[in-house]
Amino acid sequence: MLSVHPVNDTYLGLPGYVFAWAIFIAGLSLFFYIIYKRSLLIRSGEADPRLASLGRRLSDLLTYGIIQKRQPRYLWAGVIHIMIFWGFVVLGLRSIDLVTQGLNMPIFHPLMQTAFGPFYDSLKDLFELIVLGACLWAILRRALIRPERYRGSHQFEAYFVLGLISFLMLTDMFYEGSALLMDQSGQVKWLPASELAALILQGSAPRFLAGTHAVSYWLHILALFFFLNFLPLGKHFHIITALPNVFFKRLSKGAIKPARWGVEDIDELESLGVEKIEDFTWKHILDFYTCTECGRCSDNCPANAIGRPLSPKMLTIKLRDHCFDRAPLFGWKKGGAPAEGAQAMVGGIISNDEIWSCTTCGACEEECPVFIEYIDKIIDMRRHLIETSQNPKTFNQVLMHVEKTGNPFGKPAAKRADWIKEMEGTPVRALSEGDEVDVLFFVDSYGSYDPAAQSIASDIAEGLHIAGIDFGILGPLEKDSGHQVRRMGEEGLFQLLLEENMETLNEIRFNRIVTTDPHAFNTLKNDYPGSLQVVHYTQFFVDLVDNGSLKPLKRLEKEDMYTYHDPCYLGRHNGIYDAPRKLLRAIPSLNLVEMERSRDRSFCCGGGDVMLWYEIEQEEMRMAEKRIQMAKEAGANVIVTACPFCYIHFEDAIKTGGMEDEMRVVDLMGLLVSTLRN
Amino acid sequence: MNIIVCIKRVPLTQEVDLEVDELKKGVKKDALAYVINDWDNYAVEEAVLLQEKFGGTVTAITIGDEDDEEILRRALAMGADKSIRIEPGERELDGFVISKILAKTIRDLEYDLILTGVQADDDNAAMVGTMLAEELGLSHAAVVTGMEPEGSDAIIRVELEGGMDEVSKIKLPSLLTIQTGINEPRYVSIMGIRKARKKELVVINVEDLGLSEDDLAQRTMIEEVFLPPETEGAEMIEGDPSSVASQIIQIIKEKGVSI
Ligand SMILES: Cc1cc2nc3c(=O)[nH]c(=O)nc-3n(C[C@H](O)[C@H](O)[C@H](O)COP(=O)(O)OP(=O)(O)OC[C@H]3O[C@@H](n4cnc5c(N)ncnc54)[C@H](O)[C@@H]3O)c2cc1C
Ligand code: SF4
Ligand code: SF4
Repeated sequence: MLSVHPVNDTYLGLPGYVFAWAIFIAGLSLFFYIIYKRSLLIRSGEADPRLASLGRRLSDLLTYGIIQKRQPRYLWAGVIHIMIFWGFVVLGLRSIDLVTQGLNMPIFHPLMQTAFGPFYDSLKDLFELIVLGACLWAILRRALIRPERYRGSHQFEAYFVLGLISFLMLTDMFYEGSALLMDQSGQVKWLPASELAALILQGSAPRFLAGTHAVSYWLHILALFFFLNFLPLGKHFHIITALPNVFFKRLSKGAIKPARWGVEDIDELESLGVEKIEDFTWKHILDFYTCTECGRCSDNCPANAIGRPLSPKMLTIKLRDHCFDRAPLFGWKKGGAPAEGAQAMVGGIISNDEIWSCTTCGACEEECPVFIEYIDKIIDMRRHLIETSQNPKTFNQVLMHVEKTGNPFGKPAAKRADWIKEMEGTPVRALSEGDEVDVLFFVDSYGSYDPAAQSIASDIAEGLHIAGIDFGILGPLEKDSGHQVRRMGEEGLFQLLLEENMETLNEIRFNRIVTTDPHAFNTLKNDYPGSLQVVHYTQFFVDLVDNGSLKPLKRLEKEDMYTYHDPCYLGRHNGIYDAPRKLLRAIPSLNLVEMERSRDRSFCCGGGDVMLWYEIEQEEMRMAEKRIQMAKEAGANVIVTACPFCYIHFEDAIKTGGMEDEMRVVDLMGLLVSTLRN
Repeated sequence: MNIIVCIKRVPLTQEVDLEVDELKKGVKKDALAYVINDWDNYAVEEAVLLQEKFGGTVTAITIGDEDDEEILRRALAMGADKSIRIEPGERELDGFVISKILAKTIRDLEYDLILTGVQADDDNAAMVGTMLAEELGLSHAAVVTGMEPEGSDAIIRVELEGGMDEVSKIKLPSLLTIQTGINEPRYVSIMGIRKARKKELVVINVEDLGLSEDDLAQRTMIEEVFLPPETEGAEMIEGDPSSVASQIIQIIKEKGVSI
């Protein structure tokens, strides 16, 4: 007996393919309608150019979209996901084949007649088993291990879809398995999934086999179209949007997006920032659609870890729900105003403290397998809060001071270089316009005025002096770099600082800029226009040690165990992980141990911006305190950083935590200089 | 409720090593950064809050040169509707002259309330508010920390010495000198200030006001400005913050304060 294709049977007096066509047309029309509806909001989003560097985009798409390099950062979940993803890739062809068979347009028939046919049949069978196994594994993981990061995600949907995928696998297995038993043609193929089904069906009556064959086919096709239409309704939209989202991912790090893309002069703008959902860029709206709710972002978010009211995943989930509310499948017209009395997005759906909780550390973005962006969105919402005077009141004076005196302390600009008077034996040149110098040391506000940061600046100056470098500082000519100001959402003030600093920099001839802190480094390098030659001091000094200009010879006095804390703006935002470690290893007899969360998984110290001037009340402990604990757990008693803000936060946390006897914080520069002095 | 707020631009002197000028009549001002007088910032905020609640217009006025327009734009960005700058030219001003000029300017305007700061953070004379009220024949209250309109009156809270408050009723129109802390002034962004350029800013020359030379003659004659002489007996406490703090506690204890 040969199996009859189910569509060639008649049902209710009509040939099967009529039903197949009906399902196909209905399923596809509905799908396109939903996608059209979903696209409305994306199209009403703000501009966001994402087409430059096509080559890089394609190679990233391959690395992160197809090979899914970020998935195994969570090993088993990653493996499961890769298995299912690759299953989808392989089985996609099978699905199209099954559908087109039903439409009586078996377009793959010729292909399947070639040598590829039997190979593909075996391959898809293998993958059906793999996907089925992966789904079961995923269900068990969710149910038994219950990873914390799934809290707040749509769990039912996850189980439902895992079930649905399994159902698709099973229906195809039984469709083929029943055919195997009915087919006496004696073809020998390796079909592990179908054979497994056949084993189960073994000995069934021919009628039952024929029935199973037909029912499996129809259920499979129905489930397939149901699945297709179900995807855009929730987190499984990512199955459609993830690859485009990875393709359009941000290529550069560190910089904050302009207030509006394509607008040179912010004076032209009616308003800055994001108030309502359509104020986000189209890509950011695509981000909301793409979130898989995997929770990796929140799992790494330091704000979330210390109990602040921010979980990046929840922020996205809330905003996606809001997208769906604002642009529902039925009824929304482009540009429609939010319903009367509806909760505001900024300040309502997303609370102000949620927005101010973020330290812009970038841990979330580093982790997200589909490259969802957070920092730019949060800054855009902050811009709105600043513009509408909804910022924490403690910012008022800080920002006014920066505007008026060029530093957040409100100290006189004339005293910006006062710290160099304290330096005995190290001449530091304060540059004036027209001067020429090899290295321009950009000290920034903290290095210039804050006592703790000043001592780091002094150490850098001393190091430069010992190495015989021709260097100078801008002194009163220097204005705050604006790194914090920009990240607090005060874009206008940032632009002002940038203009003033650029004017000064244009008047001085220098080869490169060295900065005290990673924040100034980041903003000069990434936020400022043009391509300033900027390096952080760790990069600069590692070269000096490498080429023998500096020899850290003096042995450390005490037997300590050191650990290095990667500052977010040095590590994650700028990829500098090795220079500081190399410097540490160059110091004789220094014992170094790594914390579990190091390099791109470093845990923020509390941050160099908002945190300095605003305390989020809802907090279980300080970030710095948690970080010190991590250092302790790693077995270290000295935590080394390369950022004045980390230093300040850690010092504070050690004191307030009463850990002065067990833990110490040092800046890498201080440590290095101490091994250079006689 | 139509409100007029008088505001002044003053130097930020915190931590500045002030130097007396050659004539010994003032301090060198060229390196100083200027801001809106803190008290006036609260006064503008109070005016804007009242306007947001009860309607009407807020007009900000300053006597000063073009650079001083910055604080008018700041006031406009905070929510004031109009602003007036009176250009004093080369004239020297003191509290008396200022109150004369303000009174002359305000007399023809429509208002229910005039707000000034208690004092200005430059000379700290605290004269203008009360003198202006006198000049306009208005009821007034100084050092106001609360204000709630009630029909044609207002219930006001005034800060007294010794941490005491006094609540009373004042008949409008009247003049209040506003104390810091009465509200929480809002931040206005640089962009907000720039956009406020679109709002009305009228410039009047002081010579066009029709004031007599006597009105414009200063009554405060500065003989000499000098830095306080360094005196004996000050003890500088050196060290890191925690050791400084413990030394201070020690001294306080020695002086007999139980803590
Ligand atoms: C806590 C606090 C801090 C202040 N700080 C300052 C400050 O630093 N600088 C500043 O300039 N202002 C300051 N003031 C404000 C100042 O006190 C008032 O603005 C001003 O004094 C208002 O005058 P008044 O009409 O209330 O008269 P009062 O303060 O009551 O009196 C002023 C003077 O008028 C005369 N006088 C009053 N009544 C009589 C009478 N019956 N008979 C004869 N003579 C009389 C007396 O010479 C008296 O000293 C402060 C006020 C307070 C409550
Ligand atoms: S940038 Fe850092 S603090 Fe902000 S949401 Fe991401 S992980 Fe959390
Ligand atoms: S934003 Fe990215 S990391 Fe976070 S839950 Fe969504 S997909 Fe996962």
